[in-house]
Amino acid sequence: MAPSHAPGSQTSVTSDHERAALAQASGASRTLAATMPRLVLEARRVAATVIHGLHGRRRAGPGENFWQYRRFVSGESAADVDWRRSARDDHLYVREREWESAHTVWVWPDRSSSMDFRSNLARDGKLERALVIALALGEVLVQGGERVGIPGLMAATANRNIIDKMAQVMLHDPAARASLPKAFSPSPLSEFLLLSDLWSPIADIRATLARLSAAGAHGHVVQVVDPAEETFPYSGRVEFVEPEGAGAVTAGRAETWRADYTARIARHRDEIRAETDHAGWSFLVHRTDKPATDLLLALHARLTAGRAAVRPARGAPTEAAPA
Amino acid sequence: MIPGLPLAFAQPLILLGLAALPLLWWLLRLVPPRPRRVAFPPTRLLFDIAPKEETPSRTPWWLTLLRLLLAALVIFAAAGPMWRPPVAAGTGNAPLAVLIDDGWSSAASFDARIRTATDLVARARANGRGIALVPLSEPNRDLSFETPDAADAHLRTLAPKPHAVERAAALPAIGRLLAADPAAEVVWLSDGIDLGKAQNFVTGLARLTEGRTVTVVTGGVASARALTDVDNAAGALGVTVLRADANAASQGTVRALDLRGLPLGEAAFAFSGNATDTTARFDLPVEIRNDIARLEISGERSAGAVQLLDKRWRRRTVGVVTGATADTAQPLLAATYYLARALGPFADVRLAERGSPAEAVDHFIDQHLPMMVLADVGTIAGDARDRLTRWVEDGGVLVRFAGPRLAAATDDDLVPVRLRRGGRVLGGSLSWEEPQKLASFSPNGPFATIAVPDDVTIRRQVLAEPDATLAEHTWAALGDGTPLVTAGRRGKGMVVLFHVTADTRWSNLPLAGTFVEMLRGIVGITGQQPAADTETADGGTTESGRATQATETVAPSRILDGHGAFGPPPPTAKPVASGYRGRATADNPPGFYGPPEGLLAVNTLVPGDRLAPLDLAPLGARVEPYRTAEPVDLRGPVFLAAVGLALLDALVVFWLAGGLSRGLARLTGARRASAAVLLGLALGLAGLGPQPARAQPASNPTADQFAERATATTRLAYVITGDAEVDAISKAGLEGLSVFLSQRTALEPGDPMGLDIARDELAFFPLIYWPIVPGAPKPSAETLARIDTYMKQGGTILFDTRDAVEAPPGPGGETRSPGMLALRGILSSLDIPELEPIPREHVLTKTFFLLPDFPGRFSSGRLWVEAIPSADPDEQEMRPVRGGDGVSSILITSNDLAGAWATRPDGQAMLPLTPGEPRQREYAFRAGVNIVMYTLTGNYKADQVHIPALLERLGQ
Repeated sequence: MAPSHAPGSQTSVTSDHERAALAQASGASRTLAATMPRLVLEARRVAATVIHGLHGRRRAGPGENFWQYRRFVSGESAADVDWRRSARDDHLYVREREWESAHTVWVWPDRSSSMDFRSNLARDGKLERALVIALALGEVLVQGGERVGIPGLMAATANRNIIDKMAQVMLHDPAARASLPKAFSPSPLSEFLLLSDLWSPIADIRATLARLSAAGAHGHVVQVVDPAEETFPYSGRVEFVEPEGAGAVTAGRAETWRADYTARIARHRDEIRAETDHAGWSFLVHRTDKPATDLLLALHARLTAGRAAVRPARGAPTEAAPA
Repeated sequence: MIPGLPLAFAQPLILLGLAALPLLWWLLRLVPPRPRRVAFPPTRLLFDIAPKEETPSRTPWWLTLLRLLLAALVIFAAAGPMWRPPVAAGTGNAPLAVLIDDGWSSAASFDARIRTATDLVARARANGRGIALVPLSEPNRDLSFETPDAADAHLRTLAPKPHAVERAAALPAIGRLLAADPAAEVVWLSDGIDLGKAQNFVTGLARLTEGRTVTVVTGGVASARALTDVDNAAGALGVTVLRADANAASQGTVRALDLRGLPLGEAAFAFSGNATDTTARFDLPVEIRNDIARLEISGERSAGAVQLLDKRWRRRTVGVVTGATADTAQPLLAATYYLARALGPFADVRLAERGSPAEAVDHFIDQHLPMMVLADVGTIAGDARDRLTRWVEDGGVLVRFAGPRLAAATDDDLVPVRLRRGGRVLGGSLSWEEPQKLASFSPNGPFATIAVPDDVTIRRQVLAEPDATLAEHTWAALGDGTPLVTAGRRGKGMVVLFHVTADTRWSNLPLAGTFVEMLRGIVGITGQQPAADTETADGGTTESGRATQATETVAPSRILDGHGAFGPPPPTAKPVASGYRGRATADNPPGFYGPPEGLLAVNTLVPGDRLAPLDLAPLGARVEPYRTAEPVDLRGPVFLAAVGLALLDALVVFWLAGGLSRGLARLTGARRASAAVLLGLALGLAGLGPQPARAQPASNPTADQFAERATATTRLAYVITGDAEVDAISKAGLEGLSVFLSQRTALEPGDPMGLDIARDELAFFPLIYWPIVPGAPKPSAETLARIDTYMKQGGTILFDTRDAVEAPPGPGGETRSPGMLALRGILSSLDIPELEPIPREHVLTKTFFLLPDFPGRFSSGRLWVEAIPSADPDEQEMRPVRGGDGVSSILITSNDLAGAWATRPDGQAMLPLTPGEPRQREYAFRAGVNIVMYTLTGNYKADQVHIPALLERLGQ
């Protein structure tokens, strides 16, 4: 990373990194998405939107799938009569289809410079991993008929070419990369997926989560961390620099800091978890030395299971990594 | 160049950099190691962690020391250290004058001098300086500065001179040379020896070189040693060994060689303490000592370490004068005869042949003889008497024998004691009833070591006047105390008187061995020779007068070179006066002069010469030692050490940075890997060790294959002789016999095998066919042992000499054929039982076919087998067959059985038969069958022939 901290150059430099990461991530995410089963969110919670989707409402309505035949009620349009069925007996039947609607999922991949970190313990950087997950999940969701959006960047859409669209949008984002979404409030029945390293001050996190869940939206928080950030494998005299310009600290013998650091991390997570539990969201920790599939599978399961499956797990820490 | 340490620097100024080390120390101590900068996203969390104590902010002192040492080493190496640096000459462009000592004293270490000079020339060439080589032995040379190439060529021609060099003689030339270039430098390759006048040269040189750079190279090599002052004394030949200072080796050996260079003896010498001279003594019989022509210090290659000896050293010349005129009438009874015989072994005896005793004495004094014997000379007339007295007082030894004339002489004062003269002399009358015996020798005199004989009887003597000093003059006394030999010093010389005659008239002393011993003792005390032996070419006669002697010259014949080796005289060598006794010079180099029968030795050193170390103080010069070894550039090792320290430093930093614990896991892995590598290496080495031991089993496969082949089926075998034709016939013959066996008998042998008798295992074969090739080499002892073992263990060898037709005619001729002779050569080393021509009733004739004889290609030969005990005559009738206890281990035939058996692949016979009887080949095959069956079944048939009789007996 260039030593300069001028905002403009930082943006451009960051976009370079981001572009490279995106280019790699869009390819990787396609292959990853191809391995996933069709992700269809549980329909119970789908709002009764007019937007066409695949979530059958278990009742008749606009849709494509056959739902039931019912007797023709007088007053209906004659065009509704299903003549093929009616020809079998003496009654007139109307063919009803199941009411189907789409679900909206908001995905927030953290693209701040703190995500641009990779220790030699991991194969992928955090940013790359977050983008892979975001794009792959978007592809899977769109294939499943859902709508995917990025807060502040992209309105929810079910575009077939969702990966390219998301990548283009992120590339052409002129704003500074923030760690957490700002001034965004999802609709009550939408799902929110927050992919970030969550190293921001806990007050910021707390405020963001409160705002996101204020309207009643359900969500999942995923902390993407590098293994080095968990195990603190440093020793000797080391100067630690915050990549977002928050300052630096020098450790004389870094190995003596390890225990304190681990405890501090645990405390940080406990605070985040307290927030997510409060809002009824789920909290996952993903290490980049684990395969991306782990996280995708976990997210797939949670999104599929929906709130009902998440709720009983409340209070117990959940980790994305199966192992 | 550091004094006392052979270490120099190419760029000494760089060493000033060492002064910067304290600054470096301050920097190293003050500045903590720079931290590693790591971008770490969760740094915000670290802000909350209470800062730990910052312990390693300062480098530990020993690490600082390590780095200072590293820096010091780098500076040291950059300064170009050199161990045993070459002799330093200035690095300017001024020409260089190289003075080279090339006298004898430089010869032993001349190589070092030349090496140093070559080095100087080489560096002068590199620096583009002129150079002048000044050998100090050549004062008349025209000196000038020349190019290094010319100087190099000149240097190759330099050789040490065999004589002492007067260095001061070269001073004028050096002065002229140095005047030519005021900036010229001077290097003196000195030998460090002062032969007396070196101080003149040193002060002269100091004057000439005022304001110039002068380097004196001396020491570092063994200082010269020399020989001088050979003294062929009574008991031993002594030679003085000299050295200049205590630096020279303090021990060594002096070798004595004769004129042909054959060693005669060695004598060890050792300098005590700081002494500069010592003596080596040769305790050799005088006859051998007289043959010594050359003494040299072993291993010291210089002319000064050689002393040449001519006749002057070999024996002392004794002049014998007799007073009797009639002596020549009966020469074998004359006193001169006894004296000449007694003195002969150790002294050169000269007899006065003509004239009166006075003339003879005059003559001998002219010849400067060291010792004279006057046998019964009474009075010497005229001035000869005065000369004789002076001669004695100058160191001559005068030995007188009594006799009628001495007894009759009056006023004779050349006697050690007063004699009773006149009527008191007991000349003609008997004084004793019985002769007196020699009773004692004085412990003071030269006879002290001689055993007193008991067979010497004195019948007459002259008596001494008894006085107080008689006893101390007496060297030998008779039983009654009267003196037999008296002696007295006179001046530097000595007068000895035998109170008896030198012949047997008065006593039998001249006949005793003691007489020789006594004369030898007297000759031994003969001191310094008063003058040179002026022996000339014709040996006996001599010119009189010093003038003629001085002009007499002898030409050089064998000359020493500077290293002390003999060589032909150089063209510059000039003849030397025959009486020359001085040191060798450039004109008269040391060596032998004159004809072979009268060699004159000229030596490098004369008695009295001493060596002294050179005092260089007046010169005020830089003094350096010679380099005996090549200079060693220390830059590489020092840099290597610095690199090693740098590596160590890196390791330490790694450890300090906590890398040790982090890398421990990897390290242990690596250690395991390296341990595995080491283990593998060790195993590999261990595998290499017993390789020879495994060579034996390694060759087993072929031996195993051979054994497998040989034992899979019964096979016939033949010995490969190396003669391809014979081997082919053997193979074909045995193949034919194998076919025949298969057709006619129950035995179906496999293909025959050829055997290398020296290597292959023999035990697998019941029968080995061995064709004998005349002239074949005899098998080795080891092979013979194998054959012996095979035969002892039951194997049978069928020797076939194949030459029945070549056997000489007549009875027993068969055993004298060439093949038989070759076979005999083989069998002579074997333990062979008694043999006999096969008897008629031998079981071999009946083992399969009934055969009267055993023909092959020839039918005249007979088959020889081990003799079996002759049958009991009583049983002869009943037993038509005899067999031994076992199988005959040896069968010998000359009928070429294999030749008869040999068949071509198409079944036709290969070779014709002699004489070619109709069924000869058939019988040959049958013979083969019988032999094979015999070896396989033994004496079984001997019993089988009785079966009819047994059956008959059983049947009834």
